[in-house]
Amino acid sequence: MGIIASILAILLFIVVEVWPLVHGADVSVLPAVPVDETALALSLDPYRSLVVSLDRDGFTRVRNLHTGDLISSQPVSPGGVVEVIGGQSDPDGRFLTALDSSGKIELIPVSWKVGFADQQRVVAAQVGAASVFDQPQARLRAPFTARISSEDESQTVAAMADEETIVLFRRAREVNEFTGEATESDTRSTTASPPGLEKLLLDDELKNLYGAGAGGRLYRWRAMPRLSAEPEVAAVDGEISALTLLLGGRALVVGLRDGGLQVWFRAAVAGGEEKLTLVRKFPPHATAIRHLVSSRRDKGFVAVDEEGQVGLYHSTSERVLWRGSAGDGAVDAVAFAPKADGIMLARADGLSLIDVRNPHPDVSLWSLFAPVWYEGYDRPEYVWQSSSGTDDFEPKYSLTPLLIGTLKGTFYTLLLAIPLGVFAAMYVSQFMHPSLRNVIKPTVEIMAALPSVVLGFLAGLWLAPRVEAAFPALILMVLTFPLVVLGTGVLWERLPIAWRIRMPAGSEALAFACSLALATAACWSLSGALEAVAFGGNFRAWLGTAVGLEYDQRNAIVVGMAMGFAVIPIIFAISEDAFSNVPRNLISGSLALGANRWQTVSRVVLPTASPGIFSAIMIGFGRAVGETMIVLMATGNTPIQDWNPFNGFRTLSANIAVEIPEAPQFGTLYRVLFLAALLLFVVTFAVNTAAEIVRQRLRERYARL
Amino acid sequence: MTRRSRTDRAGKVFTWLCGGALALNLLMAIGLLALIARHGMAYFWQSPIAELTMRDGTALIGEVHGWEEVPADVAAWVGERRMRLKIGNRDLYGLDFRWVRESEVDAVDHPEDLVLLERFEWGNFYGRVSALRRAGTEIAAGGNATWASLPASYERKSAQREEIESLASGEIGRVNYEMEKIRLAERRAELRGHEAGAAELAAAIRAAAEMGARYEVLASQLVGMREQLKNETLLMTAADGQQKEIAVGDIVRYLRPNAMGWWSSTVLYFSRVWEFVSGTPRESNTEGGIFPAIFGTVMMVFLMSFAVAPFGVLAALYLREYAKDGPLVRAVRIAVNNLAGVPSIVFGVFGLGFFVYLIGGTIDQMFYPESLPTPTFGTGGMLWASLTLALLTVPVVIVAAEEGLAAVPRIVREGSLALGATKFETIWRVVLPAAGPGILTGMILAMARAAGEVAPLMIVGMVKLAPSLPIDGNFPYVHLERKFMHLGFHVYDVGFQSPNVEAAQPLVFATALLLVGVVIAMNLVAVVVRNRVRRAYATMAV
Repeated sequence: MGIIASILAILLFIVVEVWPLVHGADVSVLPAVPVDETALALSLDPYRSLVVSLDRDGFTRVRNLHTGDLISSQPVSPGGVVEVIGGQSDPDGRFLTALDSSGKIELIPVSWKVGFADQQRVVAAQVGAASVFDQPQARLRAPFTARISSEDESQTVAAMADEETIVLFRRAREVNEFTGEATESDTRSTTASPPGLEKLLLDDELKNLYGAGAGGRLYRWRAMPRLSAEPEVAAVDGEISALTLLLGGRALVVGLRDGGLQVWFRAAVAGGEEKLTLVRKFPPHATAIRHLVSSRRDKGFVAVDEEGQVGLYHSTSERVLWRGSAGDGAVDAVAFAPKADGIMLARADGLSLIDVRNPHPDVSLWSLFAPVWYEGYDRPEYVWQSSSGTDDFEPKYSLTPLLIGTLKGTFYTLLLAIPLGVFAAMYVSQFMHPSLRNVIKPTVEIMAALPSVVLGFLAGLWLAPRVEAAFPALILMVLTFPLVVLGTGVLWERLPIAWRIRMPAGSEALAFACSLALATAACWSLSGALEAVAFGGNFRAWLGTAVGLEYDQRNAIVVGMAMGFAVIPIIFAISEDAFSNVPRNLISGSLALGANRWQTVSRVVLPTASPGIFSAIMIGFGRAVGETMIVLMATGNTPIQDWNPFNGFRTLSANIAVEIPEAPQFGTLYRVLFLAALLLFVVTFAVNTAAEIVRQRLRERYARL
Repeated sequence: MTRRSRTDRAGKVFTWLCGGALALNLLMAIGLLALIARHGMAYFWQSPIAELTMRDGTALIGEVHGWEEVPADVAAWVGERRMRLKIGNRDLYGLDFRWVRESEVDAVDHPEDLVLLERFEWGNFYGRVSALRRAGTEIAAGGNATWASLPASYERKSAQREEIESLASGEIGRVNYEMEKIRLAERRAELRGHEAGAAELAAAIRAAAEMGARYEVLASQLVGMREQLKNETLLMTAADGQQKEIAVGDIVRYLRPNAMGWWSSTVLYFSRVWEFVSGTPRESNTEGGIFPAIFGTVMMVFLMSFAVAPFGVLAALYLREYAKDGPLVRAVRIAVNNLAGVPSIVFGVFGLGFFVYLIGGTIDQMFYPESLPTPTFGTGGMLWASLTLALLTVPVVIVAAEEGLAAVPRIVREGSLALGATKFETIWRVVLPAAGPGILTGMILAMARAAGEVAPLMIVGMVKLAPSLPIDGNFPYVHLERKFMHLGFHVYDVGFQSPNVEAAQPLVFATALLLVGVVIAMNLVAVVVRNRVRRAYATMAV
């Protein structure tokens, strides 16, 4: 009883660990806090305690986010109070950008000081003095955008100077190390604006300026070192109403007037040039998209439409994590909390916070098994790449290459193990004298007990280099071994009957072993000759040029041989059991009817025992699928997906062993690896149960016969 | 040719092919064992040191580690043979091995005065002795005089080294341990709050100061001893004439292999075997002994046995003696068999999630809050590894124990029941003892499986180099939360992850040989016990 309970407990535990992966976002809308002013931009601190708002009346205000209490306020413009007509918040929350009615743009730095008092975290907001940008003889106007470089703190602003010109300011700050004096130097460049430009966006590295204009046009100018004259243009089907860049600044999210949501990035489709390409679409909103805000944690984003409906999405996994509304009426400004755990909305009636608990947005069952178009790739692909050096990296969790790798390893294993295991079992049970059988069976059992780490070590460090050096020898062996066996058999027949009769039945197998050993040595020494004759002297080069396959030292064939060694004893033991338990009366009956030994075996014993052989193969399959150490050591562990037998691969099990020590507890990777374990568990369990049931049936049938 | 004889012939051919398949299996099994045995045993054997005079006039000293044909990739020298020469002297040359083509060599000689030094650091040194110095002044010069005075110096220094080690691991280890305990006490007092913990806090701080002073004294003593260890040096000359001063205290072993007879070679062989089994690892596991790995493996296997034996036997008893045969019992049997077929890595994942993070994490929060965020039980360790393996091997024990119980003849039970014993008494006093060898077989098989298992342990507690054994002289003596080393992981780690795979390979073969030897021996014992038992019951049942 305890056994079933513990199996269920293991299964349940693993399922519980996996479950949050497919679970959507937990979202709760907190009650709104009434505020009088109209906010144009918002910024939150990482601990969601304060909010800084850029208000239409020309002030920035710091408020307690839960109570709405005003903590401090200061005017936007250093010159005096002016009305603000446009506002933006930096995606990283480091500053707010205001466009005032006098045609100036102000960058207002915002920083957070976190301290502790009485074991309580206290967050204070520091709103700095604005840095002002203006164009002589012109009033800057919308659209506009601003970024601060994370490397050298230089400020970059792009805006319309008049109807036809875009101007790009870059303000570098240099601090003299001796005097501590800061000098600012401005550079500006301009370019002609396409008609009806409505949005502008700078990417994180300040290399590109993106724009959206009338007629559904997306534009991209190079922004380094100065604005390029001609933009790259892409056509979106629909009028663009909102635009944002995902984390990393490589993918654009486009919101349309008809409520559509699309992701675009640059890709070279079908070998063409790299250009902005429509990558995926999300289910549309009912009304035009008004705000788009991207997450600073992952490739997620928030879309808010005209009616105030909020949608939470993730680009990589194409998941709609949540949709709903948090109050009525149009939304003036939106902010995504820095830890992606909250969304702040500003409406006419006040500020409302949406609490988001959403630990694993980046995978869905779809993205785990189907091809996904990752940023920087030219087509949807199956990729496993769980970590990288940068923070804005897009994790790629596709289990498909690992599944393929598992099946590939298993295939080559069974290719070797099934014939060797089953035929050997047949021989031992049917043609061998019991005295020999009692020696052979424990030998094979001990073969099964060999630790797989030793097999893996030998395969990886001893076998693999030798196979690489003399691959033609393997081909020779496959070709010559049957002939060698037959030749030895013929010679054995020629031995005087008086000698043969004295040896127990089955001794010829020992003769075969000797001649095979000689044949192996011969093949090995002939390898060079064959290589010279058939493969132009270098097998690997030949494989590359003539067949177009790469040769890895640690490849599927080596794994097949090593893992075959581990699986043969299992297949052997179970099929031997099935063969030798075939009721005697069936065999005797067949022999009595005049069939010879082989006819009896092939027509009576084999069909009767075939379910047993099936279950032997199934159990061998289960072992091969779950084997870890051999594949870990004898393959290169590269998660590539192909069926080339000369290539390495990575299996589900090896992947777990490689990655789980680095996977933070309860992170997405951790849970994905648990999912891999669950898959292995379920597959082997199903296969073994099937095999076990077949065996029990067979046993009953034998008992009846 | 008649139809009959055709089928006869075809039958024969197929029979032979089947025989061939078996022969290939046997060949592979025997070949593999022979391979491991050959390489594993060769590791301890000292081959002669060769001095090569090259055509360009330079000289090389080293051990020849096999010949091969120059591979096809190196187009310029195709068709030539080359040797792998272990030249050692890693501190001078950077590499342990180099390839030498046959045509480069002018003459090969094996002079008797070539010296091999095994060192604690930097691997082997091959060369000739030139002088022995103490604190800068020469006490012996010239090859033979130096060689003659080396043993006395070596004895002195190895005695000093032992002293240092006993001081470092004994006295200083204890002080370190005490200091850590005080630090934890301090932390505990702090956690408790200002009033309640104030007195304890003050006491802890006082004790810490005291211990710190003691540590200072011991540490300076240690530094002095270390310096003394270095004051006698051996001046060595390498093949290319470079001279290198090596502290006698850094030498593990000094030999003139070419001057050794077969008897001293054999003695050396066994002393190396002994060092391997009982010594501690050096140079990130690629040299020295593997005692911690052996110890870790053995201790883990025994812990696992303690956990697995009662559960396995109880489950088997229930299945065989109490449960009524029906679909449920059948389902349980299938489940047991299946549990044995579930990949071991899945158990590892479960062990990590359940034992380490869930249970271990909870224990840490309840009992070891003072050492957080450094986990005590909330990380892989001996205990969790054993429990994970117990889960993995419980089906083996159940199956074997059930078989053992089933083999106890009916008449034995009936006799006991007829004499008035209750069912429990019959099982406890009669059936279980009779089934003992069967259960023992299961236990041995489970232990063999556990000894060879690596994948799940990589996740739940094995490390490449454990700083301390799970048993030591500090209370409570057995530290189940500690990480440990394991033979199987040693094979994986040194064979694949060490910085110097090439040089470490022979050692890995030796470890593999040991592991395979232990596992096979256990299996053989199990087979023998099983056969004995079967025979015994066969006579009993008559």
